[in-house]
Amino acid sequence: MSLVLRNLQKAVPLRRARLRRDVETLRQIFGIQKFDLGLICVDNRRIQRINGIYRGMKMPTDVLSFPFYEDMETGKPPGHLRGEELNLGDIFLGVEYIMDQCRDESRDFHSILPVMVAHGICHLLGYRHETEEELTQMFQREKHILNEFSRLTGNQLEPLTKTDGYDR
Amino acid sequence: MLKSLTRMVSTAARLSTRTTAGSWARALEPFGRPALCVPNSATTRPFTRSIWMMRNSGSTSGYRPTLLSSSRDIPSVSCGCGGLHTEGDKAFAEFLSDEIKEEKKIKKHQSLPKMSGGWEIDLNGTEAKLIRTLAGEKVSVTFNINNSIPPNFEEEAEQGQKDAENEPEILSTPNFVVEVAKQASNTSLVFDCHYPEDEASHGEGEEESDIFAIREVSFQPIGDGDWKETSYTLNTDSLDWALYDHLMDFLADRGVDNTFADELIELSTALEHQEYISFLENLSGFVKCQ
Repeated sequence: MSLVLRNLQKAVPLRRARLRRDVETLRQIFGIQKFDLGLICVDNRRIQRINGIYRGMKMPTDVLSFPFYEDMETGKPPGHLRGEELNLGDIFLGVEYIMDQCRDESRDFHSILPVMVAHGICHLLGYRHETEEELTQMFQREKHILNEFSRLTGNQLEPLTKTDGYDR
Repeated sequence: MLKSLTRMVSTAARLSTRTTAGSWARALEPFGRPALCVPNSATTRPFTRSIWMMRNSGSTSGYRPTLLSSSRDIPSVSCGCGGLHTEGDKAFAEFLSDEIKEEKKIKKHQSLPKMSGGWEIDLNGTEAKLIRTLAGEKVSVTFNINNSIPPNFEEEAEQGQKDAENEPEILSTPNFVVEVAKQASNTSLVFDCHYPEDEASHGEGEEESDIFAIREVSFQPIGDGDWKETSYTLNTDSLDWALYDHLMDFLADRGVDNTFADELIELSTALEHQEYISFLENLSGFVKCQ
């Protein structure tokens, strides 16, 4: 199934082909190629609005996930259990926010996007990081995925989820 | 909203004036001086000419107490243009004068906004061409402001009436054609682009379409005015997404990206408004025979 990529912002120049290639690689590693996935790139204004509406946090952020199925078993793609619509949901990337962070930390913007998407996909697969146990579980999955991504692409990427606490 | 409504009113006024003019014409024309005037429109010329012929032929065929000799109290024509002047025309001209003042008052730009990135603009009526040369490649973007305001605007305008403070802004979102020509080639790569109308954007405001999208891609001969229909045309409806993304990146590398598309809306909106005011002024001059 397909990856639907939308670029709704003009704050950051986006290399669409590279982003698609990287996300397709992630989809293969996660084993979710047969699911539809939406990836929407937005600016600070829009991600702040979405963050405010759905999480009550009126501030921009880097990544927000909206699973198609909400009550799923952690880590297992929905199709395994239901045989229903093969759709994982949507990930909103706050690319302006991410770019600002990259500037602050002198990191390459396009190299960091797979880290954000891997984090977002984990949420679509039911991972959470509200408890210590959930945090560890999500970190391990992200770590495994990004290690494999790094092996395939030659990049060295670390999970967005941190074991010392991550609350997003 | 104001513009949309006033446009509708203008149309109505024009229709009613035309109807009135049609019914008054037979009574008014005999007092004109058609033989001395230069008729200034195709619609008035045949009729004035026929009246003139009636008057001349009347002198040879005896007294004709019909139109030409009527002594009824009919308003006189005050200018020598040969055109008709009615009370409706007068009201129409006054209305247009007010409308032009209003439109000039809300005009955002005194001159057309510049596009960033070194684009040169070439105007031909309602058509604009933006040209940029990059390392031996010539990139041109052509658009026409006619019919460039989405039809759903009127619906939004009606909703906007409820809240005058939040009057919706009229935006011109024309289709545009990007041509990329390389020095060594006699063909150019042509992208037919548009601004997607997103249904979702009229609801919660969470539109999910790209700012602009490529509809078709083809090769066309450089300098040939006619579109070559026999050239293979790549339609993006059923395109491999990866290829589509490469095409979008190709355009972005040549300065046609979301920033460009956003500035194009601003330019096109300003040009559309400028042409609208110019049209109203021409219309006013035409009605007043100036």
